[in-house]
Amino acid sequence: MEDKVFELDGVSRTFGALKAVDNLTLSLGKGEVTGFLGTNGAGKTTTIKMLIGLLRPTAGTVRLFGGDPADAATRVRIGYMPEMAYYYPYLNVRELLAFYGGVCGMDKQTVRTRTDKLLEEVELVEAAKRPLKTYSKGMLQRAGIAQALLNDPDLLILDEPFTGLDPLARIHFRKLLMKLRDQGKSIFFSSHELGETELLCDNVAIMKNGRCIYHGPVDRLAGDGGGNLERLFLDVLEKGGVA
Amino acid sequence: MRGCMRRIGALVKLSLLELWRRNDMFALLVLSLVLLVPLSMARPFGASGATRYFDEAALLLMWGYSLFISLGIGGRLFTSEFANRTVYPLLAKPVSRGELLVGKYLGAVVASWSALAFFYVLWAISSVLRGGECLTFCFFQAVVLHALFVALAVAAALAGSFLLTPSASTTLLAILFPAMFFFGRRLPDYAENVSGVLRGLVNVVYWLAPHAEFFDMRQRLVHGWGGVEAGVFLAVVGYAIFYSGALLLGARLLFNRKRL
Repeated sequence: MEDKVFELDGVSRTFGALKAVDNLTLSLGKGEVTGFLGTNGAGKTTTIKMLIGLLRPTAGTVRLFGGDPADAATRVRIGYMPEMAYYYPYLNVRELLAFYGGVCGMDKQTVRTRTDKLLEEVELVEAAKRPLKTYSKGMLQRAGIAQALLNDPDLLILDEPFTGLDPLARIHFRKLLMKLRDQGKSIFFSSHELGETELLCDNVAIMKNGRCIYHGPVDRLAGDGGGNLERLFLDVLEKGGVA
Repeated sequence: MRGCMRRIGALVKLSLLELWRRNDMFALLVLSLVLLVPLSMARPFGASGATRYFDEAALLLMWGYSLFISLGIGGRLFTSEFANRTVYPLLAKPVSRGELLVGKYLGAVVASWSALAFFYVLWAISSVLRGGECLTFCFFQAVVLHALFVALAVAAALAGSFLLTPSASTTLLAILFPAMFFFGRRLPDYAENVSGVLRGLVNVVYWLAPHAEFFDMRQRLVHGWGGVEAGVFLAVVGYAIFYSGALLLGARLLFNRKRL
């Protein structure tokens, strides 16, 4: 039985002279929620792109459900939401989900059922017939999470999911992620929102200059100094690791 | 296999939806109605020669529009995916880059063909209204070859969009295709009259550039000269398939190398 949904083993990725990710070893267990933190340019998005097979590592191996993420069949069990996507502006959200359902190879009836359920969950039922070009940033994010959940994935990979959300939408989105966590989904998300990360995650991984300088439970990190995640995040970045 | 067809089908449908929901396409169709209908129905002084001239001009406009549409759709296929970042969630789905490329290409071709069909239906109606015959073997050949040319132009625009910036690629192809359409058959004669590097260059262009003129049946259609021989027709069909295939293969290689 597989207990790791993904494993990165000594993974590096360079772009010319730039080492975006440097010898990264990281894994996610089944049902775990891990926040992926770090400053801009720390290598979070590059790592996520390698996880979903968009980029090949220059060194090391990436295993997703025991397979190669570059292999399309391996990606059947994941749902991914990018940092900020401007989904096809001429479609409405139902058409968008029908399109992604087709791309996932799902049959029409399943797509319809899942769409009805997801539109309720992300509160887009009333706006379902409006073209996406009329959506606000927060509504596009909700459409994004709906497309990521369409195939009922075992692993959700979210790149900066809280970006552009107003406080109410943020609370709603957090509750949705908590519900998914309770359903046993594995979730891996990058974020700059330390408060949200603290509330949602079992573990955090902190990146600095392409290297992982901390990977472990949130409570351990918070417990070390007895402070909040924000202060400790800054400490870790300054010291380059946790003692 | 069934899953693959479903994925490609979804991508084809997306391209069609995009074409028909973009206002610029409607503007183009209205413009074509305004220009094509009077041109093809005009009968100045009842002179059949002049009518043919207008007929030919209408067909030439159809070629221009179809090239414009093909390059526009083909060049935009992936550039909009990259600009809007929709390529990321798309490639995170269980779809390979090859399937994505083929699906989007087929969608663009079907979308361009639907516009082409509209033009030819208009032309055929006006031809019938003037008492002419339209559903001839020559007409069938002209439509098929024009459709294959459109498929080739979409493939060229698609491959070009991976190689150059979208505007550079579209501009280059918008010059290359008409240049080959009008002057392609004269290149060997021109090569005979020059020497050295220029001669080599002209020969390279002749053998490598897409011969748009192979697909042109306007004269035969307008003057009623009848269709081309089956062997010639099949050779041009083969040329279009081979050339489009090579361009798609090139696009696939460039897409694989593209940093996402």
